[in-house]
Amino acid sequence: MRLAEIDRGESLKSRLLIRFISMVSGMRLPDAARVAFYHRDFLGPLGAWTQAAMRGPSEWSVGERELMAAMVARWNSCAFCTGAHRATAAKGLTRATVDAALADYRTAPLSAGLVATLGFLETLTRTPDAVAAADARAVLAAGVSQAALADAVAVATVFGVITRYADALQFAIPTEAEYDKAAAMLLKRGYA
Amino acid sequence: MDRTDHAALAARLEQRVFHEPADTPADLRRSMGERASGGPAIAPPYDEIARQIGEAAYRVTDAQVATLRTKTGTERATFELIAAAAVGAALERWRQGAAAIDEAVK
Repeated sequence: MRLAEIDRGESLKSRLLIRFISMVSGMRLPDAARVAFYHRDFLGPLGAWTQAAMRGPSEWSVGERELMAAMVARWNSCAFCTGAHRATAAKGLTRATVDAALADYRTAPLSAGLVATLGFLETLTRTPDAVAAADARAVLAAGVSQAALADAVAVATVFGVITRYADALQFAIPTEAEYDKAAAMLLKRGYA
Repeated sequence: MDRTDHAALAARLEQRVFHEPADTPADLRRSMGERASGGPAIAPPYDEIARQIGEAAYRVTDAQVATLRTKTGTERATFELIAAAAVGAALERWRQGAAAIDEAVK
């Protein structure tokens, strides 16, 4: 973590909260949560959108949306977020499915609609100028609704933000066991 | 099934990060966001880190963040500008994705 104030907490209240959660969970509170406690007045709307995109009503399951987040993290080379959302997606899908998708989503055991959607998100993440109506039509032709595709684009957008600040601030990388614990917290408490 | 109004949530994020008062000037935050989404070069030292966050944030260096911290004078201001660059790059993707969907269903 490159900014010390985020690491230790901005106010006495947030410092105590960080210490308390770390103690109860038996692990260092991940930097993603520390950022969520920092300068809330500024990035609060991102938290609200992330919660809606990841846990709000959608034709995609929570596990599928967590997989989309892990894929966006992988395409952006964000090690922290890939690990966090790989672990969370694995609790809804399976670890084997998630790891197969991270290796090559086109050959992973996923629905045709999800594979097509990930193709759209990959282009959008890597080369946004190249995304065209034909790409969207291909996803719709695979049986994905317009609303579901928009939900997926929202997931890619919020993680387009989160992966960038995670890397710019250099989030500390948890261990596998810590990622697993954090995944359980993310499923229980969400992003708000 | 109820639908999430993503366009409204995107607009709220854009409004807060680029238009409302914060520790840093709104026009500087907008410049960071535009630069990170492929916009024109801006003044040093903002230019280098904004472009880097947009193109490949994993290549941002300790020195780039330290330089920004020195220039802004506070960690809150540094955070705002890093976040503004990240939000700018990502909202550009939201716009491109939403436009492709709109065009596809016309």
